[in-house]
Amino acid sequence: MTDLALAVRGVSVQFGGVHVLDSVDLSVRSGEIRGLIGPNGAGKTTLLNVVSGIHAPGRGDILLDGTSIRGHKPSEIARRGLGRTFQTSRLFRGMTVLENMMTGLHRRTDSNIFSAGFRSRRAMAEEREAEHAARKSLDFVGMAQFADRRGTELSFGQQRVVEIARTLISEPKVVLLDEPAVGLSMNRLAEFDLLLRRIRDEKGVTLILIEHVIRLVMEVCDKVTVLSSGRVIADGDPNQVRNDPQVIEAYLGKELRARYSAS
Amino acid sequence: MPMFCRRNVLSGLFILALGVPAFSNAYQLFVANLILIYVLLAIGLNVLVGYAGQLAFANAAMFGIGAYATALLQVHLSWPFYFAFPAGTLIAMAVGLLISLPALRLSGLYLALSTLAFAQFTQWVFSHWDNLTFGAGGFKSPPISFAPLPVSKPVGLYYLSLIVATCVTLFAQNVVASRIGRAFVSIRDGDVAAQSLGIDLLGHKALAFGISGFTAGLAGGLYSQLLNFVSPEGFDLFQMVIQKATIVVGGLGSITGSVLGAGAIIIILELLREAKGAQEIVFGGVLILFVTFFRRGIVGSLQQHFRGWDEPLHSARPIGSALPSQVRLGEKESLS
Amino acid sequence: MLLFSYLLLGGITTGALYALVAIGLVVVNKSTGIINFAQGELFMFCGFLAWMTHVQFGLAYPLAFIAATVGGFLLGIVTDRLAFRALAKTDIVGLVLATVGLAFVLRGTARMIWGGKGDYLSFPPITSPEPVMIGDIMVVPQQMAALAGAIAIMLVFAAFFRFTRIGKIMRATADNAKAATLVGISIQNVYTLAFGAGAAIAGAAAVLAAPLTLLYPDMGFSFFIKGFAAAVLGGLTSLSGAVVGGLLVGVIESMAGGYIDSSMMEVAPFLLIMLVLIICPTGLLSLHKTRDV
Repeated sequence: MTDLALAVRGVSVQFGGVHVLDSVDLSVRSGEIRGLIGPNGAGKTTLLNVVSGIHAPGRGDILLDGTSIRGHKPSEIARRGLGRTFQTSRLFRGMTVLENMMTGLHRRTDSNIFSAGFRSRRAMAEEREAEHAARKSLDFVGMAQFADRRGTELSFGQQRVVEIARTLISEPKVVLLDEPAVGLSMNRLAEFDLLLRRIRDEKGVTLILIEHVIRLVMEVCDKVTVLSSGRVIADGDPNQVRNDPQVIEAYLGKELRARYSAS
Repeated sequence: MPMFCRRNVLSGLFILALGVPAFSNAYQLFVANLILIYVLLAIGLNVLVGYAGQLAFANAAMFGIGAYATALLQVHLSWPFYFAFPAGTLIAMAVGLLISLPALRLSGLYLALSTLAFAQFTQWVFSHWDNLTFGAGGFKSPPISFAPLPVSKPVGLYYLSLIVATCVTLFAQNVVASRIGRAFVSIRDGDVAAQSLGIDLLGHKALAFGISGFTAGLAGGLYSQLLNFVSPEGFDLFQMVIQKATIVVGGLGSITGSVLGAGAIIIILELLREAKGAQEIVFGGVLILFVTFFRRGIVGSLQQHFRGWDEPLHSARPIGSALPSQVRLGEKESLS
Repeated sequence: MLLFSYLLLGGITTGALYALVAIGLVVVNKSTGIINFAQGELFMFCGFLAWMTHVQFGLAYPLAFIAATVGGFLLGIVTDRLAFRALAKTDIVGLVLATVGLAFVLRGTARMIWGGKGDYLSFPPITSPEPVMIGDIMVVPQQMAALAGAIAIMLVFAAFFRFTRIGKIMRATADNAKAATLVGISIQNVYTLAFGAGAAIAGAAAVLAAPLTLLYPDMGFSFFIKGFAAAVLGGLTSLSGAVVGGLLVGVIESMAGGYIDSSMMEVAPFLLIMLVLIICPTGLLSLHKTRDV
C-alpha cells in the first residue's frame, strides 16, 4: 500500500443537494501516469479541487504518500508535495515568466522579511539559486527563450506549458494537470506525450491528467479512470477501458463508437 | 546603463534632499518634510494595495494611531520622544495587525467596507474619548529637542525623517524584490494559483497589513512632531484619498512610484492649499485620470519612454488586454 | 413607550433613506460588480440640485423632486460614459479607486458652488414641523412624508425591474452577462443604465432626506457608508436585502443614540458592520452558496 502516491477513498461532494462526486475511489501508484476522462460535468475538475484542498470533501479521505490530507489548506497540501495546473492560464499577470517560475519555488526557499530586507548573504545566495533553478526548469520544457517576457505576451498554449514548469520547479511528488493539452500548437502537441514521460522519468513525478485529447490519453497513460455523473465507472489500462461497453455507452457515445470499431 | 535611469534619479533626489535645509526657507522645509512623511505612507499603502492587492481603507486610521500614540505617550506618561516614537509605531502596527485578523477572511468589497468602518470608528474614538485624546479639538504635542546636536528642531526633524524614509525605501525595495514580494503579487494576481504553489494566503496578507501599519505608524509619529499638534481631522477620509492618490499617480506595485507619487501629490496639494473645493476636484480628477489613462502611473510612463526604469515585478512591457486569463469586469475568477 | 416609539419611527425613516442609497449601490453592483463609492456624493449633489430648484428658483417641491432625480440619472450616465467605459478592462481595485475619485470631484464641485454660504443649507419642511400625538405615539409628519415617499420609490423601482422591458433586460444581464450578450443585449448600455438608475434613486432619496437634514458638501460620505453597510448586510446583490439592511442600520443607530449615548449614534452602525463581517463574512442575509474559486 505504501507505494501509492495518491489514494482517494470514498470521496463524496454535494453542491446544493446535487451529488457532484459519489464515493469516488482512486489509487495511483508512484511513478504512474493516470488519465482521468469522462463527459462534461462528470466531476473531474471537482475531484482535482477536492484533492488539492480547494473544496472540502463531504465524506471520504484523501491520502498523499500514505498520510491523510483531508481538510488541509491548499497551500499546506502544496507544501506536502502536490502540484497542480488549472484549465485556464493562471500565470501571474504582473510578473515576467522568470518571476512566475521563481514564485513556484516559494515553498523551497525560506528567507524572511528581515533577511530579504537587509539582503543577507544567505538570502542573496538563495535568490541566485532560485533564478538558476527557474531557468533550468524553463529549459526543461523548452521555454528558456521566454524567461524575460511577460507571461501575458505568450500564447495560451505557451502559458500553460510555463505553468507546468512552474509547478515542477518545487519538486512535487504528485502533479494534477487539468486539460494540459488545450491550446497547444500542433508541434507542441506532437511532443507533448514525450514531455509528460520525461516529467515522470526524469523528475520522478506521478501525474494525473484530465484530458479530452483521447489519442494523448491512450498513448501516454499507464491507466485510465473514467468518471461519469460523479461515479467511477471504469478503471484500468487504456485498451481495456476503451473496449469497456459501459464506457463506450456513457462516454464515447455512438459516433465515437463507430469510429473506434472501424479502426 | 543610461544616465536617466531609476537608480541615478533616485540617488540624485536623495542628494537633493540632503541639501534642502541649506537652501530653503521654513515653509519649503516643512513641505519637503511632509513629502518624506508621505513617502513612508505611500510605500506602506503600496505594499498592501499595489503589491498584495488588498482593497483596504484603514491606512489613514493607522497613520492617526501612530500620531496619537506617539504624542499621547509623551503627554500622559512624559516619555521622551525617542521612546514614544518607536512605541507609537509598534502600537500602530499592532492595531493594524489586530484589525487585519477579521479582515483576512474578507476579500474585495467586504474588506473595503470593514476597513472603512474601522476608519470611521477610529475617528470617533479620536474625537469622543476626551480623557485620553482631548477630543475633537485636538491637542499640542511637545516638540522634540535635538539637544546635544547643533541643529534646530525643524532641521533635526527633517533629517530624522530623511533617514527613516531612506531606510524604509531601501528595505521595502529589497523585500518586494524577494520571494515575499513575489508572494504578494501572486496573491493579487490569482489567489487560487498562489495557494496551489504553497503560498500561505493569511500569513502574507497579515504581513502586508503589518508592513503598512508599521510605515503608517512611523509616518504618524513624525507627523505629530512636524505639526506639534494632533487632531482627528488630519486622519479623515480625505487623508485616505490623498494617500491613495500618491500610489495611483506614482504607480501601483512600484516602490519608486511611491516615492515619485508622494512628491507629486504633496506639491499639488500645497499649490492648492487655499481652496479646499479645488483640492478635492483636482485630487478626484487626478485619481480618475490616472486609473483610466495612465494605469501604471508615472513610473509606467517612464518605463515606456526610457530605459533603465524597470523594477522587479513592475517592468516595462504593457499588460496584455485581450487574454483569456484576464478577469473581466464583474466576473470572478472561476475554476470550472 | 413614548421614547421607544419615537426612536423606532425615526430609525425606520432614516433607515428607509439608507435603504434607498443601498438600493442604488445594489443596482450598480448587480450589473457591474463594483461598489460606486460616489453614491453618497451623488446623493449630496442631487440634494443641492433640489435645494436650488426649490429654494433658489422658488419652484414647487415636486419639481425639485424631478430635477434631482433626472439630474442624478444624467450624472450617472455621464460618469459612466466619461470614466467607466474606458475602465471596463481594468480590475476591481482600479474601478473602485475611480469611483472614489468621482466622489471627491463631486464634493469639491459642490463646495465651490454651494459651499461658503455658512456651508450648511437648510431645506424648508414640506409639512408641519410640529410632532403630532396619535394616541401614545409621537409622530413627526415630515418623517412620515419621507417614509411614505421612500416606500413609494421602492415600489416604483420594484415594478420597473419586474414589469418593464428595460428592467427585465437589466435583470437578465445581472444573472448571466454572457447569455445576455448572446441574445443581443448590449452590456455596455446596461451598465450605463445601471449607473443612471443607481444615481437617480440617490437623487430621489436626497429630496426626501433634504427637509429632514441640513445640506452640506461633506454629508454624502456618511450616507454612503451606511448605505454600503445596509447593502452588505443584505448580501450586496439583493434589493429586498438592501431594504431590510437599511432599516436595520437606521433603527440600531436611532436606538443606540437614544438609549446609550447620543454620540453612539454615529458609531453604532460601524460597530455593527464590523461585528457582522467578523461573524459572517458575506453579509447577514446572503444565502450560503459555495464559494466561486
